Amino acid sequence: MRIDAPESLDTPPSATAQEETREPLFAARGLEKVYPSGEVEVRALNGVDLDLYEGELIVLLGASGSGKSTLLNILGGLDVPSAGTLTYRGEDLTQADEGELTRFRRDSVGFIFQFYNLIPSLTARENVALITEIARDPMTPEGALQLVELDDRMDHFPSQMSGGQQQRVAIARAIAKRPEVLLCDEPTGALDIKTGITVLEAIERVNLELGTLTVLITHNSVLAEMADRVIHLSDGHIVDIRENRTRRPVRTLAW
Amino acid sequence: MLAPLDLKLLRDIGTMKGQMVAVSIVMACGIAMMIMSRSLILSLESTRDAYYERYRFADVFSGLKRAPNALRDRLAEIPGVAAVETRVSGSMKLDLPGLAEPADGGILSLPEDRPQQLNQLFIRRGRLPEIGSHNEVVVGEAFAKAHGFEPGNRIDAIIYGAKQRLKIVGIVLSPEYVFEARAGETLPDARRFGVFWMNERELATAFDLSGAFNNVVVDLAPGEDSAAVISELDRVLAPYGGLIAYGRKDHPSAVRLDDEIRILKGLAVAFPAVFLSIAAFMVSAVLTRLIRLQREQIAQLKAFGYSSGQVGWHYLKFALVIVAIGTTLGGLVGLWLGVNVVQIYHRFFQFPSLTFHPHWAAIGVAFLVSSGAAFAGVIGAVRQAIKLPPAEAMRPEPPAEFKASFFERIGLQKLASPSFRMALRNLERRPWQAVFTTFGLALATGIPIVPGAMRDGINYLMTFQWNLAQRQDVTLNLIEPGSASALSDVRHLPGVLSAEPFRAVPARLRFGHQSRRLGISGLSRDAMLNRLLDANAQPVSLPPNGLLISAKLAEILRVKPGDRIIVEVQEGQRPVREAVVHGLITDYAGLAAYMEIGALRQLMREGGTLNGAHLAVDSQQWPAFLEKVKESPRVASLGITSAVRGSFQKSTGEMIGAIQTMYFGFAIVVSFGVVYNSARIALSERSRDLATLRVMGFTHREVASVMIGELAILTLSALPIGLVIGSLLAAGIIATASTETVRLPLVLSPRSYATAVLIVLTSAAISFAVVSRRIRQLDMLGVLKARD
Repeated sequence: MRIDAPESLDTPPSATAQEETREPLFAARGLEKVYPSGEVEVRALNGVDLDLYEGELIVLLGASGSGKSTLLNILGGLDVPSAGTLTYRGEDLTQADEGELTRFRRDSVGFIFQFYNLIPSLTARENVALITEIARDPMTPEGALQLVELDDRMDHFPSQMSGGQQQRVAIARAIAKRPEVLLCDEPTGALDIKTGITVLEAIERVNLELGTLTVLITHNSVLAEMADRVIHLSDGHIVDIRENRTRRPVRTLAW
Repeated sequence: MLAPLDLKLLRDIGTMKGQMVAVSIVMACGIAMMIMSRSLILSLESTRDAYYERYRFADVFSGLKRAPNALRDRLAEIPGVAAVETRVSGSMKLDLPGLAEPADGGILSLPEDRPQQLNQLFIRRGRLPEIGSHNEVVVGEAFAKAHGFEPGNRIDAIIYGAKQRLKIVGIVLSPEYVFEARAGETLPDARRFGVFWMNERELATAFDLSGAFNNVVVDLAPGEDSAAVISELDRVLAPYGGLIAYGRKDHPSAVRLDDEIRILKGLAVAFPAVFLSIAAFMVSAVLTRLIRLQREQIAQLKAFGYSSGQVGWHYLKFALVIVAIGTTLGGLVGLWLGVNVVQIYHRFFQFPSLTFHPHWAAIGVAFLVSSGAAFAGVIGAVRQAIKLPPAEAMRPEPPAEFKASFFERIGLQKLASPSFRMALRNLERRPWQAVFTTFGLALATGIPIVPGAMRDGINYLMTFQWNLAQRQDVTLNLIEPGSASALSDVRHLPGVLSAEPFRAVPARLRFGHQSRRLGISGLSRDAMLNRLLDANAQPVSLPPNGLLISAKLAEILRVKPGDRIIVEVQEGQRPVREAVVHGLITDYAGLAAYMEIGALRQLMREGGTLNGAHLAVDSQQWPAFLEKVKESPRVASLGITSAVRGSFQKSTGEMIGAIQTMYFGFAIVVSFGVVYNSARIALSERSRDLATLRVMGFTHREVASVMIGELAILTLSALPIGLVIGSLLAAGIIATASTETVRLPLVLSPRSYATAVLIVLTSAAISFAVVSRRIRQLDMLGVLKARD
């Protein structure tokens, strides 16, 4: 039985109708991902159907091994599915070669990980400049850093910044290219609550001000309140998609 | 069953085998050079010593004009003398089938009425001449081999003006002709020069020396000093026209062999030191990185109760494995090279048997030295790893600290892209790693300059010697000094276009405590064929009085132009005079002193005497010229410039070819090894950065260029340093190889530099390519998700 198909969702008809009139940014059908692991195969994704739209903020929830990260990586062109189709603006990503995926990531996707993965030998400004140099229509590094409220730390090296500041540089770096998609894999996983909130506020702000489709993985179900839609994964299936009538601003969330 | 730690060792080695191999091979290069040269030294020295001892090579040598055989007993009574051998020695001209020009040979007597005591012959084939036989000779092996002579063959010779048909009865070797060449010549010319031995009575008769001798060799009693014996010998022989006696250290063959061993000894230290220090650094870089990566594992081992000693030993074993591979590989290559290089020595040096003796002790020493170097390289990292408390070690290392690089602090940041800044800052963050990598690459750049400089030096020498200085077609030597009429006869030989006479007088030059025996050459002031040149290859004209001497001789005697030196002539009335050194000339073989021929004759109180002439010969009449010279009893030998040049070119060409191959090989190995190793370490240290760039949409090429940028900076900065190091290395090696017998000019050409740069850039490019493939295989997600 499939309960994860968008059509079968228990959502108000008006909302569904409204979404059907828009073209989805991503459309996944029957996505599967199987990792060979020694003698046994690990099914990380087992038939995922999903449409994601411009400007949405999506929170992906699920236990470890539920397939959240695999889904995120496939959406971002870091990985390819074993079966099924995935289109981005109607282009089939499953047929893309390595070079096309690189171009897709370069032009359209911003990533944020739990570990900030800044280049330690470059300052905040330079870490961002690394991207603005190769992007098609970037903001200035300064503009991107202002957006995450780090304009006073531009010439600091990663080792001179706190974890939250580093993660905000990572966000600035991810959004400086004005990506259409921002993919965040547990961006606050390594941060304390207070710092986590500043980071999430930055993500929220990017989503609202730039209209970037944002997909956020978290273990923290409280964060579901900040999303337009909350998707639950378990064992490689989507078990539930919930739509929030209103998004709650990050600063009002109670952890 | 291996201990778990040793299993870990094996598996860790498996995952880093590329680097282990790179380091081992660089180490192996040094060890190979060390084993090869040590083994060659051992082989040459032990063969030489055994040969000299067994065949009783004499200690002191002297020539004289003529002394009665009865004098032998008196010589034997000189204190310190253990044995005396008196001999007849001379030269002869040979007319050989298949050789248009005449060849010449030295001929020595074999005693008949007493056993030969000194400089005994080793008989390869055949036998010695029978007592009372007629025209029987034995011949040196090099010459016999060059012509395919066997016992029973006959050859035509002119001995002291008389034609004789000699019968070869044996092929022999002598300890005084290990280097079988005319005295003072740099390279053997076995086709045109040979050594012969004949029964004493017959040879004495041929040279008009019946009942007399003109050469004496002496064996010293054990522990005796040669100087005292030499001066007493000189005193006793003086009335008999004795030339200055000399010891083994002035014996042409012995000196040539010892020079070769000295060169090897220099190489046996210099090269291994260079390679082993690079290898030590590489071991250090590899293991320091490994230990940093295994920080948490070390903490766990210690938490389980492994002692610091056990953990430290575990990591030292990595170094030991590298050293063991390096030593084994280097030992095998060194022995292989040695066995082959010994073959080259066979061509230059004549021994009854020159067998290769592996220097086993050197392999042991090599193992110890390289273990020491490797341990020195890693001990710091090991100590840091084991002194860390387990709890602290289990936490990841704090993030790397960076600062703006020097170039940015001086305001050049506008010039640099972010990826270039990454490269600069990474380099500044680990300056020693950068310095050593640069140093290793600089050495790799320097190594191929050495054979290039040798090749260019030899080419320059050949041009200098035979296009600029000695422009004669032929040097004709008379059997004994002739008069003006002899010159006129020479001028009338067929095809002779011009003839410039020369006079050669044996003498000793003395300045202060320094002295040297050599021949003073008298040349015409306006000589156009055999010219004297200065360091810039400009002709120097002879002063009306006084001397021009080789720059090398000036260095040995410690004289400078303007100094007055003592000339002790060893011929005729044996005048002793003071003479002014007017200037220095440049030459590359032997030591020479020149005087204007008139001035020399005046010194000798003689008229138009000459020893021979430098000739220009019409090539159309060349065969007729040779024909006539072969028949002429007064001509002792011919030095044909093109033949000398050809044989020089052939033998040095082969040698340089071998050296070049070896050095180029080493340069490739070192530069590939150093670049590959640095790139692998950089890749491992920066895999997270690179993966991040890939995730953000950088292409493989862009990511590779970020990392290659760093290595390219190092490579490019190493090149100029390498060119300087290479020039110094070439200068040093050429200086080591420069002896009184032969010197090489230091010529550093753009071609040598370009070759060196090309070799390093090519090997660097190949290792970049290998590492770029690894970037392609980088697991982006694995790297990013892992804690560093």
